[in-house]
Amino acid sequence: MQVGLLRPALALYAALFLLFLYGPMIVLAILSFQSQGGGPQFPIQEWSVYWYKHLLGLAETSRVSQLPVGDSLIRSLVLAFLTTVVSVTLGTMSAEAFRTRFKGSGPVFYLIILGMMVPGVLVGLGVALLSNFLDIGRAWWSTSFVLHVVYTFPFAFLVMLAIFNRFDRSVEEASLSLGVSPAQTFRRVTFPLIFPGVLSAMLFSFTLSYDEFSRTLFTAGADLTLPLAIYGTFSVEIYPNVFAFGVLTTLFSFTLLVIYGLLMKRFTRNKRFAGQEDA
Amino acid sequence: MLYDLELQSVGKTYPDGTVAVSDFDLKVEKGEFVAFLGPSGCGKSTTLRMIAGFEEITNGEILIMGKNISHTPPERRPTSMIFQNYALFPHMTVRQNIAFGLDVKKMETAEKKRKVDRILDMFDLTEFADRTADRLSGGQRQRIALARGLVVEPEILLLDEPLGALDANLRRIIQNELKLLQRDLGITFVFVTHAQSEALGLSDRVVVMSNGVVEQISAPKELYTRPATPFVAEFIGSNTIIEGKSGKMLDGGLQQIETPYGPMAGVGTAGADMAVIPAESFRIGLRETPGEIALEGTVASKKLVGSIGYIRVKLSDGREIDVETHAGSPEAQSLSAGASVTLGVDPSSVTLIHH
Repeated sequence: MQVGLLRPALALYAALFLLFLYGPMIVLAILSFQSQGGGPQFPIQEWSVYWYKHLLGLAETSRVSQLPVGDSLIRSLVLAFLTTVVSVTLGTMSAEAFRTRFKGSGPVFYLIILGMMVPGVLVGLGVALLSNFLDIGRAWWSTSFVLHVVYTFPFAFLVMLAIFNRFDRSVEEASLSLGVSPAQTFRRVTFPLIFPGVLSAMLFSFTLSYDEFSRTLFTAGADLTLPLAIYGTFSVEIYPNVFAFGVLTTLFSFTLLVIYGLLMKRFTRNKRFAGQEDA
Repeated sequence: MLYDLELQSVGKTYPDGTVAVSDFDLKVEKGEFVAFLGPSGCGKSTTLRMIAGFEEITNGEILIMGKNISHTPPERRPTSMIFQNYALFPHMTVRQNIAFGLDVKKMETAEKKRKVDRILDMFDLTEFADRTADRLSGGQRQRIALARGLVVEPEILLLDEPLGALDANLRRIIQNELKLLQRDLGITFVFVTHAQSEALGLSDRVVVMSNGVVEQISAPKELYTRPATPFVAEFIGSNTIIEGKSGKMLDGGLQQIETPYGPMAGVGTAGADMAVIPAESFRIGLRETPGEIALEGTVASKKLVGSIGYIRVKLSDGREIDVETHAGSPEAQSLSAGASVTLGVDPSSVTLIHH
């Protein structure tokens, strides 16, 4: 009797939880199809894709100015890409270093992790003050970039550390013992085997950097990244074009996830994957 | 004389002071099959990994064909290692796995292909050449690992418990293959195992290790008949060990010790104080040679397994010893629990060692 009730109760709980999680996004998606005359609230006066056209500059001019996302979107994508490349490279290299115990590895570990633990507002402010003091200009590609790396590097590092933890060292030793140099061994044996982990680390770094706000707020200077630009529009008046943009950017994230999933599937096709061999 | 492999008082001490291996001396001739035998943690694998270059040595020197390679990185040593878990590259086909070591060498493609094809054929792997290794059986995977290690033509093949992950049947088959392979190729094999039967059945010489120290280096038969230390006497075969006090020298190169069971003669050096008697060298109910050891006791239990009879005899002081005899012998047939027996041993099959 009790067991009979438990299942539907848990199902209901899970459904409510999902609704809570995705509710705001669903509301936002619905409202993005509001007509030109309607505001950013219910009821929907008439279904239309007007705000999507408006966003892309295809609508006839209206009193609402176009969302200034074009340049900031490019900036955010470039910044996220560069951050990903640097963080994942550093993360992989430092995780590789941590495979053997070295002097001071404990403190170094916590120093790396600190980058994701410290409050973004504080480091952002700190770097802003420092760059002022040193008379270095602030820009999204310099000061913000450094902070993005400091922030995302620990995540990439932890992902790679977990991957190396399960990695069977004997395949590398087998390669070395066949006379293959350490560099070649890394390129032809280690890297292909840890590649799924590298993909995960890249996904982490990219998404974290792409919507980073607090650190960027203080360090981006005059040219804004996407989250800053969107936030900027809130201070005036909100129109459904922001929602339309939200839907598009969510779709973009989903696309990334799908690509990630497909690549993962491709590279972990071999079920008995050396990195996870249960020898 | 130029040895293929030479360890000169090789040792390894970890930074925390733990000694993994100490004073390991060994000279191996070209084409010899040497086994490192010992319980887990005795330092046999560590020594093998030191020869391969995966572990730093902290003492002594390692020479391969007279060349000191003590601090040469693994990829520049003329050794190839075979791992217990095969360590195949899971993202490559069988052919790619085997060709991997040749790929980085400057060699013509045709030459490379010829070598790979030949070794694929030699190991009966041709039909699997384009599959990935993960779908193959343990025995096939071990063959791939061997082919991959041998195709680069190493001076010395190092095998780290290569049969450990196989079932008993397959182990015997691969064991035979290994022996034939080694004989045909004439390559030096150094083989690590904790299984006596593997070490004694395969190798020309066995190095018995315990606690990081070499206990004895000798041919398999000698290890059985003439153990050099109490550890070897305990570890190899089934021996009865009787402690005593050193005694006088006898004629015919024999030595005597005083034991609680009376004086015992055996082969050994002056000062020896321990007698080692192989279980199969006891003769039940016989006492032929003068000076032959005789132990009195009663049969505690008897078990016939195949062609061997295992008889447990309880001595007068309560100690129980194991005796092996032919299952078909009259004594094995007639004896039953409780029967009184005399156990005689020819002194020449008794080894006297130092405590």
